[in-house]
Amino acid sequence: MTNKAIIISDLTKVYQNGRGIIDLNLEINQGDIFGFLGPNGAGKTTAMKIMVGLMKPDRGDVNIFGSSITEDYVNAMKHVGCMIETAESYPYLTANENLKLFARFYPEVDQNRIDEVLEITGLSAYKHEKSRKFSLGMKQRLGIAAAILSRPRLLILDEPLNGLDVEGMLDMRRLIKHLAEEEGTTFFISSHLIHDIELTCTRVGVVYNGKLINIDDVQNILANYASLENYFVSEVDRNGRV
Amino acid sequence: MAGFKTAFFNETVKLMKKKKIMAAAILSILAVIIGQVAVTAIKHGLGLRVVGSTEFPLVVLSVFTYTILPLFATFVAIDMFNGEFSSNTMKLTLTRPVSRFGVFSAKVLNVALFILANLMFVMILSLLAGLLFNPSSAGLMGMIKVVLSYVVTFFPVFVFALFVVLLSNMIRGGLAVFFLSILIYIGLNFLGILFANYASFLITSMFEWYTLWISDQINFFKIFRQALIMAGLGTMLFSAGYYLFDHKEI
Repeated sequence: MTNKAIIISDLTKVYQNGRGIIDLNLEINQGDIFGFLGPNGAGKTTAMKIMVGLMKPDRGDVNIFGSSITEDYVNAMKHVGCMIETAESYPYLTANENLKLFARFYPEVDQNRIDEVLEITGLSAYKHEKSRKFSLGMKQRLGIAAAILSRPRLLILDEPLNGLDVEGMLDMRRLIKHLAEEEGTTFFISSHLIHDIELTCTRVGVVYNGKLINIDDVQNILANYASLENYFVSEVDRNGRV
Repeated sequence: MAGFKTAFFNETVKLMKKKKIMAAAILSILAVIIGQVAVTAIKHGLGLRVVGSTEFPLVVLSVFTYTILPLFATFVAIDMFNGEFSSNTMKLTLTRPVSRFGVFSAKVLNVALFILANLMFVMILSLLAGLLFNPSSAGLMGMIKVVLSYVVTFFPVFVFALFVVLLSNMIRGGLAVFFLSILIYIGLNFLGILFANYASFLITSMFEWYTLWISDQINFFKIFRQALIMAGLGTMLFSAGYYLFDHKEI
């Protein structure tokens, strides 16, 4: 049994406009809270979409808990929860009905677990409301609820704090810390909120122009830089951006 | 297989929750009622007996197969693919532990389920209407012919729906797919009239292949030939649709 949650090897995906990711190599240990940083258009979402099978790479592969995403998708996704780009739900279904649909893919998830995640994300009071009536923040909470529903060993979250108010952000940060410490969940998070990544993540990777330019522990970074923001700016500048 | 079963069940739940199903049911009921009113009006007004009890469902079928059924099958197919792509909800299913083939098959089988359920619904309604207004002309053979006609009509309409599924995975906009489907549907019907000798190769002409099954002299060879054409066309459309769906980037 490997202690690597994710192994990304030579992952390449180039769009017609020349953007994308090139030869991305990355290993994430189990239990890591990994922050994926990069400016807009650096290739973060592309990498995450390939990791969950929404896109096919030009070459390279992603292994999740030992299963290849391109060759053994079903097994690779068995222990993964994700929220990519935007938190979506079926607007004509209630929060509870939405979660029930997802729960059917996991035999161990029952109504009690659905109620539990609704409670965790603060949506219990809106359980029977159709999600089309939800605010952006509530949709985000429902997206998180859907991602953690199956108690996944790996959570891939693209901008999980989008649309959340301050209280929601604090709740989210607490939830991530709780899941990582109590259940050993591995996180792969992208966010443009560097301060939040600094407070939440244990390791950080910086992607720029489709290439991974550096990976380091947050503790090491903070020992050498005043903040993660300074480190990020320094890394990006060093790689050609003024 | 477990992932496919779940995806299939989920697609059915989503289908049942949509207003299109209610609209299809209401229009189906209206079609039967209007048909029966017309038949009764002609009978009492002009003194002509247009159809007997088990002939009425066949008259309804001949109209229903060319209008409401393909229209709603098109709606459902577009909704399942273009609708989910444009609303960004396709990723909700695709990021679960189920293969793309499982998701595609589950969606296509739900389109099939919708077509079959709609046909059965109209068959029961029209049979009831026929028996209610013309009870004297009811017969077992007539009933068998009605059931057979409705069941076999499923196949050509399903193959047409597979064509819409292919378009849905080829073209991004649902509205464009809808209008293109309608244009192609009209075009195929027109070609069927223009080149009557080759009409049996066109899927829209096969919509009335049920008449082959219920005629007094059954032409088994022609039925077999049309079944093979449909099977071949269906297999190609399914495979092409799946190929595009599998390569779709979200």
